[in-house]
Amino acid sequence: MKFYNVPIEDREEVGGYTLLRYRWRELPVEAGQFVMARAVGQPYSFDPFLARPLSFYDYDGEVASLLFEVRGNGTALLDNATESIEVSAPLGRGFRIDASGGRAALLGGGIGVAPLKVLGRRLDEIGVNHDVFLGFADAATARISTDFPGATVSTIDGSVGVPGTVLDAAMDLEGYAAVYACGPNPMLAAVKRAAGSGVCQLSVEERMGCGNGSCNGCVVPVRERGYVRSCVEGPVFEAEALAW
Amino acid sequence: MVIRTGVELGVELCCIPLKTPLMPASGTLSREALGEADGVYGAMLPKTATPRPRNGNPTPRIAETPAGMVNSIGLQNPGIDQFLQDLGAFDRGMPLFVSVAGDTVEEFRALCERLAGEERVDAVELNLSCPNVEHGGLTFCAGPASVAEVVSACRAALPDKPLLVKLTNEGVVGNSRAAEEAGADALTIINTIPALTVDPHGRRVLVRGGLSGPAIKPVALRAVYEVCGTVDIPVIGCGGITRGTDVAEFMLAGATAVQVGSASFVREPREILDEFVEYLKDANLGAVDLIGGLRDFSRSDR
Repeated sequence: MKFYNVPIEDREEVGGYTLLRYRWRELPVEAGQFVMARAVGQPYSFDPFLARPLSFYDYDGEVASLLFEVRGNGTALLDNATESIEVSAPLGRGFRIDASGGRAALLGGGIGVAPLKVLGRRLDEIGVNHDVFLGFADAATARISTDFPGATVSTIDGSVGVPGTVLDAAMDLEGYAAVYACGPNPMLAAVKRAAGSGVCQLSVEERMGCGNGSCNGCVVPVRERGYVRSCVEGPVFEAEALAW
Repeated sequence: MVIRTGVELGVELCCIPLKTPLMPASGTLSREALGEADGVYGAMLPKTATPRPRNGNPTPRIAETPAGMVNSIGLQNPGIDQFLQDLGAFDRGMPLFVSVAGDTVEEFRALCERLAGEERVDAVELNLSCPNVEHGGLTFCAGPASVAEVVSACRAALPDKPLLVKLTNEGVVGNSRAAEEAGADALTIINTIPALTVDPHGRRVLVRGGLSGPAIKPVALRAVYEVCGTVDIPVIGCGGITRGTDVAEFMLAGATAVQVGSASFVREPREILDEFVEYLKDANLGAVDLIGGLRDFSRSDR
């Protein structure tokens, strides 16, 4: 697995999350693709051993950004990085944007809002109108929603926006031509049930080892047969393909 | 592909010339990542094939541990028929070894019989030690008698190709001797080590599987060292090989070649080869000079 050393532009704490921007001119990025990211020197200390899968939050051709929550040692080391980090990217299959016209709904749950920023940017570029629904646990994590002007926000504790889940905010998904969502798997399963007959693409969150299809650790069950790898066949899947 | 490095990297394994002593450990190099093998590995070794398709285990399948990871993939693979149809992708202009596993001795034998007629396959590796499969895996490695039984059956079914046997650490010396006596041409030492991870907050088992990565390197190194002191057939070292000096250490301990597994998830295999080349240049040695070349300063190693 090839990793690039990339210089950090800046780092910002946004509520419960970290937004890390770095120079990226290697390869183009599709909405929904991800990186395996780690602190410099991590593979030489061997602890943590593996890099962390993180969605591209945004990319303008010069600077890429990652939005992440510190959950353990790997993300803590990334959070503390000052000069540069190492990324292997871009990885996976992103959203296959339906450009045929109809209005799209973008739903993010918690840190799952991350890939929606660059997705919204792409939809704007090709002139697809869309509504954004973002669900969070509380006011702290909901702060990132200020970076999504016009988004409808919900919080589980009711402190900001609509009380409840993102689906309490997005009442009628059936009317949309396309639904794109990222978040915890139970949320995605609920989005799948609520979506109409149009396009419905879900970006799954799975524990990953390698990010290039080799370790077979990050699988999701599919209707057709057994399991497929979320790092190569995903992380974005057509909802109907998933066996949940 | 010619690999020009200024040092002699080639080794010979069971009369098969390898351009470098590195190869992937089975199940750690996807089709999508095959480009990483070109000009780096001396042999190709795809993920283990079983008689029928296997879906593998539900998630979580992997858990990170200090200097390593525990996996319980469950031998997910499309089965030998589809495996052979897709084998062309793994023809990278280097010897092709195929890893197989069955649930019974008869299944192992039948897989070997099937591969005996496959011209594209240069050698077969028996995966006797995958600790993930109920009723399979570990039971074949449980002791010398069961190792001998399955290796003998496979030997008879595969008379004309090198037969490699991959063993787990437990009982490795006795099992190695049994495999050699039953006709194995080479041994791969070692597979992952049975391990458990627990989620303390959820108070449940996270992953019960096999430990790999740098954490197991000293264990694997000792196993290679002991086995090489016991058998006369070549040994392929495996377990936590992450840097160029790791390759050298396994070869000094007696290995003829090595397999790279988990390290390829966090590094490019080329980097490991480059470091190995630097080591050889500094030592003014070729790869073959290392094999079993530990200096004998003191034989009081107890």
